[in-house]
Amino acid sequence: MASGVLTVEPVSENLSRKIGSLIPGVALLFAVGYAGRIIERSIANYGKAHHLALPNIEYVLWAIVIGLLIANTVGIPKIFEPGLATYEFWLKAGIVLLGSRFLLGDVLKLGGVSLGLVAIEIVVSLLFMTALGKAFGLNPKLTTLLAVGSSICGVSAIIATQGAIDADDEDASYAIAAILSLGAISLFVFPLVGHWLHLSDQSYGLWAGLGIDNTAEVTAAGNLYSDAAGKVAVLAKTARNAMIGFVVLGYAIHWARKEHTKEIENKAAFLWKKFPKFVLGFLLISAIATAGVFGKDQLTSLANLSRWAFLLTFAGVGLRTNIRELGKQGLRPFVVGTLGEIVIAALTLGLVYGADRFLKIGT
Amino acid sequence: MSDGVVKEERKARSTRWLSLDGWAVVLALALSLAVWVGLIKQVPW
Repeated sequence: MASGVLTVEPVSENLSRKIGSLIPGVALLFAVGYAGRIIERSIANYGKAHHLALPNIEYVLWAIVIGLLIANTVGIPKIFEPGLATYEFWLKAGIVLLGSRFLLGDVLKLGGVSLGLVAIEIVVSLLFMTALGKAFGLNPKLTTLLAVGSSICGVSAIIATQGAIDADDEDASYAIAAILSLGAISLFVFPLVGHWLHLSDQSYGLWAGLGIDNTAEVTAAGNLYSDAAGKVAVLAKTARNAMIGFVVLGYAIHWARKEHTKEIENKAAFLWKKFPKFVLGFLLISAIATAGVFGKDQLTSLANLSRWAFLLTFAGVGLRTNIRELGKQGLRPFVVGTLGEIVIAALTLGLVYGADRFLKIGT
Repeated sequence: MSDGVVKEERKARSTRWLSLDGWAVVLALALSLAVWVGLIKQVPW
């Protein structure tokens, strides 16, 4: 009995301490994201009051820029770090809630076409990045991590692959730094190119979902263009994320054979372990919404909850980007990553142009 | 930055009984249920 008391109390204490440690960082995410909203509204109100046609710069950009400024000038004190790390949790919760804004038919249609494009993108990207890594003399495991990161889904794919192929922490850190840096650059380049080419919301969203690596940056880049583009971008990226287990499994088998390390016994269990579960949550909410379970006001509330979750995510994107870190990473992986990203962006843009006529859905 | 990401993610993976994805789905479903039963009536934006 006494031992029961001794074990229960520390667990509850530990949990409340853990939750308490998240509060400062989550509060900072909210403050930065909400500051972005205030700036967006203030500029719009000023333009209205003074009859000026000011450009509508979405809160997404302000939140990222404020976050970047804080992280790269005054820096982030340690007390905020646990809470800031929750940005990915808000991203995934936001994506699941976003499912309420899609009819299941649209999800299957766009998801199906996206999966076809994703398959082409993955094969070409993996082959190209592997060849590029070899040409630049990168070590094979770093090349694998860069290839997986740029062809599927950024940080999650790199972490999953690192564990599966037993790569060094340094290689994973290098690949993550390169992918995050390039993601931050894509955030600003993709909307500019999209506007320059007069891409429709749908085409742009699909392009961002296929061409940008990390889910948070995809969501931000899509929403920077328009709300509708943001929806399509998230859906295309979700289709891409669904492939993560298969590619990681393929690499795990390849490296296990190459190094004669332990074989993967249960491939189905491996796939389930690596599969991003929020994709299933997204599909479930979409199916429930399609069945007409929610009323119109309820759907609006769910959509707004998703927006609040994304607001925290966008602030996190800026706050975790350390520009000084770029210089420390050395040039070769960054050059390989940059060349790869440019080629993948061009390839996916071509794919999107080709697929556009099959994708007439109501967003 | 990236060293921290790797270490945090590894630590979290080894200690979590429900993954980050799982918790995100649970929260989203709980919020959806709260909206459906009327506990959350209107969410402003």
